[in-house]
Amino acid sequence: MITLLKISWRNIWRNKARSFIIIAALIIGVIGAIFSAAVRLGVEQQQFKDTVGNQISHIQIHHPEFIANPEARYRIPDGFQLAEEIRNRPDVTITSPRTVFDGMGASANLTTGVRIKGIDPGIEAITTGLDQLVQEGSYFSERGRLPSIIIGKELANNLNSDVGSRIVLTFQDIEGEIVSASFRVEGLYLVADKTFEKRTVFVDAKDLNQLIGDTKAVTEIAVVLTDIDEYRNVASELQAAYPDTKVRHWADIVPFLYFSLEFLERNLIWIFGLIILGVSFGLLNTILMSVLERVRELGVLMAIGMKKIKVFAMVVVETTMLSIIGGLIGLIISFGLVQYLSKHGLDLSGAGGEGLGEFGYASVIYPELALAMYFQLGMLIIVFAILAALYPAWKAIRLVPAEAVRQE
Amino acid sequence: MKTVIKTTDLTKIYNGGAAEVHALKKVNLEFKQGEFTAIVGPSGSGKTTFLNVLGGLDKPTEGHIYIDGVDLATMKESKLFDFRLRHIGFVFQAYNLIPVLTAMENVSFIMLLQKRSKEEMERRAKEMLEQVGLADKLDVRPSQLSGGQQQRVAVARALASKPDFILADEPTANLDTESAFNLLDIMARLNKEENVTMIFSTHDQRVIDRARRVINLVDGAVDEDKEFDR
Ligand SMILES: Nc1ncnc2c1ncn2[C@@H]1O[C@H](COP(=O)(O)OP(=O)(O)O)[C@@H](O)[C@H]1O
Ligand SMILES: [Mg+2]
Repeated sequence: MITLLKISWRNIWRNKARSFIIIAALIIGVIGAIFSAAVRLGVEQQQFKDTVGNQISHIQIHHPEFIANPEARYRIPDGFQLAEEIRNRPDVTITSPRTVFDGMGASANLTTGVRIKGIDPGIEAITTGLDQLVQEGSYFSERGRLPSIIIGKELANNLNSDVGSRIVLTFQDIEGEIVSASFRVEGLYLVADKTFEKRTVFVDAKDLNQLIGDTKAVTEIAVVLTDIDEYRNVASELQAAYPDTKVRHWADIVPFLYFSLEFLERNLIWIFGLIILGVSFGLLNTILMSVLERVRELGVLMAIGMKKIKVFAMVVVETTMLSIIGGLIGLIISFGLVQYLSKHGLDLSGAGGEGLGEFGYASVIYPELALAMYFQLGMLIIVFAILAALYPAWKAIRLVPAEAVRQE
Repeated sequence: MKTVIKTTDLTKIYNGGAAEVHALKKVNLEFKQGEFTAIVGPSGSGKTTFLNVLGGLDKPTEGHIYIDGVDLATMKESKLFDFRLRHIGFVFQAYNLIPVLTAMENVSFIMLLQKRSKEEMERRAKEMLEQVGLADKLDVRPSQLSGGQQQRVAVARALASKPDFILADEPTANLDTESAFNLLDIMARLNKEENVTMIFSTHDQRVIDRARRVINLVDGAVDEDKEFDR
């Protein structure tokens, strides 16, 4: 049984070399589009995980003055009780009340500005996974003569310190008096964001609160939600419930991250479109050539009574078949590639990726892409292929059969 | 015998180049059911133009073509496609067949467009290929057939769809003498057996000698119109 589909299918294999080239171009285009999108998304997701997951959490609550002046003076009234209340909400997984302010950190011979975070080690481990980030030493498991401090590896390098070294922190107490205290470095942590690693130190809030003279002091409450997508709603509910505090969600705190994620998600389709557009011109050219080579044949078809709409459809179907073959193979290969790299990681450290840490990017990237994106790209290819086929198909039906079949 | 085609004052003027070309000049002809007619004349005399206009592939500048009382000259293009599909069989000088289809599929093709049943299509295609002596080439593609065999498939295809008449523009022009005679023999036999009107153009005297009616075109006008008893 012969059908138009069968004829189209056989037609695309008439010039095998040409069909293979256009299929190869489609495959490369698809892999390029998927891969670049997956890497970009992987980078952003990784950064989101590092920044929001390991550093700031979904929502933060402070005294309104604290944001401009991160000092022990600006505490959240009844902070522990507030943290407890919020934790009891069904949409909240955990809250971490902290004592946070800026101060100075000094080793034997160097001094630098630091952000001091007094935390409950157990709660902080659940909130930001800080214990998991500690690469050397241990995480608040030793009780020595001096209280423990966990510092970033980057800061340790800067201060010429190591696990076991002594560090003196200097800061203001609740009255604004200068206080100094010695700590022993118990662990060194690593995060992608080297600026954070250089600046942020963790001590036990109990030790810190004693030093500033308020054992119930809380200057920051980090909130982790059960459903991250609810962050805007929960934040505004909390703000309404606690008008004396300043409630901010992650997108407020790191707007740059928020906008780059938003931009990426909205514009992936355009990145795809651009690449596919390029490939489509190749497709158009290929199909046009194949139509022009078949002038007589198409003329005969129309002469013997094949309607123009069918000739048109035949050309469009040929193009669509080519694009489905190339697109499908490209999608399957890139799916495999992205799946593999999302497990094993793409190490950019050899390619000048070390510098990425300065901007808060990890040097090993785990590309990822939602299945819906593959589907979208697949659809886009077919749509563009059909668009690319319109001109050659139109050329084909504009043939005048009487002219096309003429033998000179 | 009943008249199948009638032309009145058929005129075709091409305006393509610098000057007008009067390719057909007031041609008045009638063709009867079952005719086996050669349109002859030197190159440029208007044979192709005449057959194209007769088959609804081209519009006359003036005049009419009546087929069963229907005027092709005023028919809309979309209707013409359908008319050609149902009433007219074509055989061209070359490039008749769809290269990607087998002989069998090529012969079935018009019937497919006519939406015939699968059984009828297969039965008829086989029958016609047997008639043109290609029973052993059913599943062969055109590139593996000789020029003469390809033309025979084209004749089989034209006949399979049961048209009112068949127009063949120089069907033997690309063939060697033996193949040309062979094709003409087959056409002549099928013309009788199927009682289908056949009108073909040629400038080959040996082919002309087989025709039962010979119309001589000179400069787009009918110069001679003779019938022979063969
Ligand atoms: N598309 C066209 N434009 C202009 N002149 C044409 C065109 N087609 C054919 N002619 C001219 O019309 C005349 C008849 O041509 P044609 O019908 O092909 O004759 P034949 O088939 O007998 O050789 C010739 O002079 C030819 O040059
Ligand atoms: Mg001619």
